Amino acid sequence: MSTDKSTNAGSRKGSLLSLDAWAVIVALALALAVRFDILKDVPW
Amino acid sequence: MITTTAPSPVTAVTPVKSDNALLKALRLVPGVLLLAVIGYAGKFLEHFLNTYAKAHHWTFPNIEYVLWAILIGLAMGNTVGVPKLFEAGVATYEFWLKLGIVLLGARFVLADILKLGGISVALVVIEITLSLALMTFLGRMFKLKPKLTSLLAIGSSICGVSAIIAAKGAIDADDEDSSFAIAAILALGALSLFTFPAIAHGLHMNDVSYGLWAGLGVDNTAEATAAGALYSDAAGKVAVLAKTARNAMIGFVVLAYAIYWAGRGQAEAVTNKAAFLWKKFPKFILGFLLMSLAVGFHAFSKAQIGSLGNLSKWAFLLTFAGVGLRTNFRDMSRQGLRPFIVGALGEILIACLTLGLVIGANRIWGL
Repeated sequence: MSTDKSTNAGSRKGSLLSLDAWAVIVALALALAVRFDILKDVPW
Repeated sequence: MITTTAPSPVTAVTPVKSDNALLKALRLVPGVLLLAVIGYAGKFLEHFLNTYAKAHHWTFPNIEYVLWAILIGLAMGNTVGVPKLFEAGVATYEFWLKLGIVLLGARFVLADILKLGGISVALVVIEITLSLALMTFLGRMFKLKPKLTSLLAIGSSICGVSAIIAAKGAIDADDEDSSFAIAAILALGALSLFTFPAIAHGLHMNDVSYGLWAGLGVDNTAEATAAGALYSDAAGKVAVLAKTARNAMIGFVVLAYAIYWAGRGQAEAVTNKAAFLWKKFPKFILGFLLMSLAVGFHAFSKAQIGSLGNLSKWAFLLTFAGVGLRTNFRDMSRQGLRPFIVGALGEILIACLTLGLVIGANRIWGL
């Protein structure tokens, strides 16, 4: 069974950044890619 | 591993580290692909069945991709199981959930967050107070172990599994208690995926009211997001916002329990309360607010906001597949009946209570 250990606990064992931090970094990178038209008209 | 015949200390260490990181990343690929395949199968089934039913003039209920993805995941997870090769990648569903929530921030203007977030926070405070009191009462009535009762109360009042994990260390609870509490919360979360939308349809709730109810009443963030999205896109957005407001309270409640148990000499004392609160605060909420702030400052065009919204939906698609895959009914049934009964009774009462709160809020603020 999986458990959400990272939300509140800072970094995971053996990882410099927490899951939250990774999620924010990747989201910001994607937002920048969209902002500067590297990613355009993402379909759904 | 890269080896050289006469390695200098630096060259000997660096390639091993990068190899490890690369290997770790590669190990995630099969599971992430599995999440993508299941999620996309859900999306395909929704489209295919709707088109087929329309072409043949059938009356067929519109079953959303969210439910298909969860059902396919459930079917696989509870029959053939998740092969070891896929486990690491499947566990990334939490990452996709958080990524989806941060990106979803782009779909909210700050005014929405302030209005709905303000209502959510008011309702969350009432919900947390009543849930904690109710679960503590039920735990005592059913003579559960006091720390298990605390974990169930924290899990059902705030954010399910992550709150239980955060509290486990803070109140020094044992592993067995926390897995009991987690199993109860997850089983009830799975049930709420089917019951919440059905009840809301029966009551003809609007998207905002239902979204608030799902965000307040469903405990685990992934299930709350899925329960909202099962009703409609708009309800899904509101459910995420309400759940995020609830998640933001985690530090305060866990701190209160930590102080309570430390006062009884059964947990370590909290020396720096501010540091404790910051450590427990779910940081992805800051990313969500930052994204909304960027949209408020017109950093993105309308089409770009649409793209960010769609990226968020793709991230959630992988999450929903993961919710189905990791819900294992056999594991849950092994966890014992009493904690489950307490959890179920509490959750039913909390669902009724939050439904009453949302209906009341709808009358007062016209949601």
